[in-house]
Amino acid sequence: MQSYLQLNGVTKTFGDFTALQKVDLAIDKGEFVTFLGPSGSGKTTTLMIIAGFEKATCGDVLVEGRSLSGLAPHERNIGIVFQNYALFPHKTALENVYFPLQMRGVKHPVGLKNAADMLELVGLKGFGHRYPKELSGGQQQRVALARALVFEPSLLLLDEPLGALDKNLREQMQIEIKRIQRALGVTTIFVTHDQTEAMSMSDRIVVFEKGSIQQVATPLEVYHKPRTRFVAGFIGESNIIEATVVDPAARKATAEHIGEIEYAPSEFSLHKGTPVTLIIRPEHIRLSRDPKKGRHNARMKVETIVNYGDNALVIGRVGEQSMRVRVLGADVVIIKEGEDCHVSWTPDSVYMIAK
Amino acid sequence: MDRFLRLIGFLVIIFIAAPLVIVVPISFSNARSLQFPPPGYWLGYYQAYFSDTDWLRPTFNSILIATATTVLTMVLVVPATFALVRHRFYGKSVADLMMLMPLAVPHIVMAVGYYSFLGNLRLVHTHMGVVLAHACLSVPIAFLVLSANLKGFDRNLERAAQSLGASPVQTFIHVTLPILRPGLFISALFAFIQSFDETVVAIFISGRDAETLPRKMFDSIRQEADPVIAVISTLLFAAVLLALLTPLAWSSIRKRLRKRPPAAAFSGG
Amino acid sequence: MGATIAKLAERPNLWPWLLLTPLAIYLAIFFLVPLVNVAIMSVTEPRLTLANYERVLVGALYQRVFLNTFLTAGLVTLACLLVAYPLAYLMNHSSQRTAMMILLLVTMSFWTSFLVRTYAWMVLLGNNGPIIAFIKAIGIEIPPQLLFTRFSSTLAMVHILAPYMIMNIYSVMRKIDPVLIRSAESLGARGFALFRHVYLPLTAPGIANGCVLVFVICLGFYVTPVLLGSPREQMIAGLIGTQIEEFLAFGMGSAMAMVLLAVTLAILAIYHRRFGLDKLWG
Repeated sequence: MQSYLQLNGVTKTFGDFTALQKVDLAIDKGEFVTFLGPSGSGKTTTLMIIAGFEKATCGDVLVEGRSLSGLAPHERNIGIVFQNYALFPHKTALENVYFPLQMRGVKHPVGLKNAADMLELVGLKGFGHRYPKELSGGQQQRVALARALVFEPSLLLLDEPLGALDKNLREQMQIEIKRIQRALGVTTIFVTHDQTEAMSMSDRIVVFEKGSIQQVATPLEVYHKPRTRFVAGFIGESNIIEATVVDPAARKATAEHIGEIEYAPSEFSLHKGTPVTLIIRPEHIRLSRDPKKGRHNARMKVETIVNYGDNALVIGRVGEQSMRVRVLGADVVIIKEGEDCHVSWTPDSVYMIAK
Repeated sequence: MDRFLRLIGFLVIIFIAAPLVIVVPISFSNARSLQFPPPGYWLGYYQAYFSDTDWLRPTFNSILIATATTVLTMVLVVPATFALVRHRFYGKSVADLMMLMPLAVPHIVMAVGYYSFLGNLRLVHTHMGVVLAHACLSVPIAFLVLSANLKGFDRNLERAAQSLGASPVQTFIHVTLPILRPGLFISALFAFIQSFDETVVAIFISGRDAETLPRKMFDSIRQEADPVIAVISTLLFAAVLLALLTPLAWSSIRKRLRKRPPAAAFSGG
Repeated sequence: MGATIAKLAERPNLWPWLLLTPLAIYLAIFFLVPLVNVAIMSVTEPRLTLANYERVLVGALYQRVFLNTFLTAGLVTLACLLVAYPLAYLMNHSSQRTAMMILLLVTMSFWTSFLVRTYAWMVLLGNNGPIIAFIKAIGIEIPPQLLFTRFSSTLAMVHILAPYMIMNIYSVMRKIDPVLIRSAESLGARGFALFRHVYLPLTAPGIANGCVLVFVICLGFYVTPVLLGSPREQMIAGLIGTQIEEFLAFGMGSAMAMVLLAVTLAILAIYHRRFGLDKLWG
């Protein structure tokens, strides 16, 4: 089946520097996809190529099978919410939202009615006459969203739209954007460097690093089955253990300070002696005074305890291997900094990545 | 140290203010020659100014020349500023420098150059000649103001407009131009003032036919120090004060208007 | 035609040239050609020799005028600095409202035409003016001649050019973090030491800017020295004017103009190498 939006081998170079390296991607109609990655990873460049503000050095972008390459930005029918919202300061909120309709020749009464309806949908009924500088950050954000949606674009692009908001407002807007996106069913690409945003909002996440895609998967998959070491390190906290496979059939590897470890079943098929990276999420490790039966145990020297109230982060060492353990707030009383204790995990929670 | 600097600061305020203040009472004086404080007050010199074609003609010339200079300057500078601020190209730094050169050359040097150059073109003593010379001197000033504005312009606004379906031309008309309007206005105002106040080049090339107000004032001060000059000074002074205070007053009025409760939700368009 | 331009414009690197061309042509004809014309006249009027330059550079009269011009420009610059620094300091240490009022006054002075301000000084320093009246009032029978002297023209030039210096110094002084001053004071710097080690280095860029600007404008100043100065102590610009207007000596006038231009550009070139010329008027 043909995907709604397709990127075929999109590459972008600036002189000697390769900003994007053969990006292939397929997105279905109505999907909410997040481009996640650190700054300079190529996510914004990809967005700009889809929008038509940057020309790909090679490769093609297709919507419903039709190439966008010959089209100027204004011919692409793509709605964009910019990082700083880019609201027109000389127009009121309503005029801002009416602008794309005006450009499409929709006459005043109808156009203004549509714009007002869209403002109502984003929860800004009664704010139409205000100028952008008279609106709060969150309200400006909503106007920008309404403006990008009012002309029923084939695609909605959001370029780090929540970056300028404070934490509470940010969470509120995450829910709000998700609600509006569902209501309209518009195919959406959301660019962010914030992993929690990506986790909470997306149908699928595309992880970018150094100009290429590291992984395309659902949030849970990205979290539990990172495909590369970069993904494991970038999303959530991880204990990263370098190891060598000793018995592929029994899924056993050995690490310098921990010894033999059994890992979860994996799609990688390897032979003996292959160096691998093992990932254990801190919340999958348990802390106890004595070794636990039926689990893999190791002795850890506790160095630092960081309390968060409902939970705590315990940082320590198994031999020279640094380990981080998340424990429930109530459990932390059993140990003190400087003491020795046992850490344990099950083989299911050890995820293996081949190098 | 602190008190010493402050004391001198106060004296400097008097030094700066005194010459600005003194011309006003002189313009209302009834003395035949310069005298301060004036022996009495009347509006005779205002009447003299507004009824004397020897003064009104240069005033009119200056307004005409400054207006034409402003139009010519802006037509040339606006596209060039876009090129220099928005694009990178080979030779840009030289072009940047060239834009400022007319500001670096002393006006007396330009006056000598224009005197013979415009003479060869038979443009000396014509309005056209003065406008062509003045536009050169206004270019760098208009450019400095406009380029500062354009550098601060958020290009995402244009991108947003294009993503919303505006063609490049529509983007320019509906977004770029309106947002840049204050910058364009100030840039044009500076070009106008530069031409209106320019004295040295005008002394050499405007002649009797295209005589500008500064030239007429210069000649008059040199010969007899006609108190009518105090009238013109007061009027120019009032104009500057008005130009400086209007934006301040305007913004405070707007602020007060804004404070009204929102009357109607559906008031755009 | 339209199609061709559109096609050319499609290549992105041609756009800037297309936009720049009208202005470039205009400046070439109406700015560069007149300047080159001055250079040509300086060696061809009345005939093809370098004699004009020889007279300008060696002749006693001209040497005196050049020297006088430099001294005056230096004096005006120094006086502007002495006037501007305390005022900028006062503005920086006053309430916002007071600082605004002073800034308004300075801006007003700046925007008032050179001629108007020159005329005002003529009134102030004139024989029937308030200053002479004051001198008479305190009992000096024969007051000194103030108008048409080096004193009057220098004073008026200081007044006219001071706003350039004030704005330059104030703009850097305003950016000094007050915490810095407080911490310097807490470390024991006060009085002159505070000024010498904290204020002076931090405001140096503004001082440099203001001095270059005032000095260069002063070198080529025509209006005020001609109207207020002593006819016997002309400055270069005034002398160039006399050569052209009264003696129709285009060769001599042009040669002097070229020397003035060379000196001005040399100063600005040094400034450009260190700071960049666009900062000077910015």
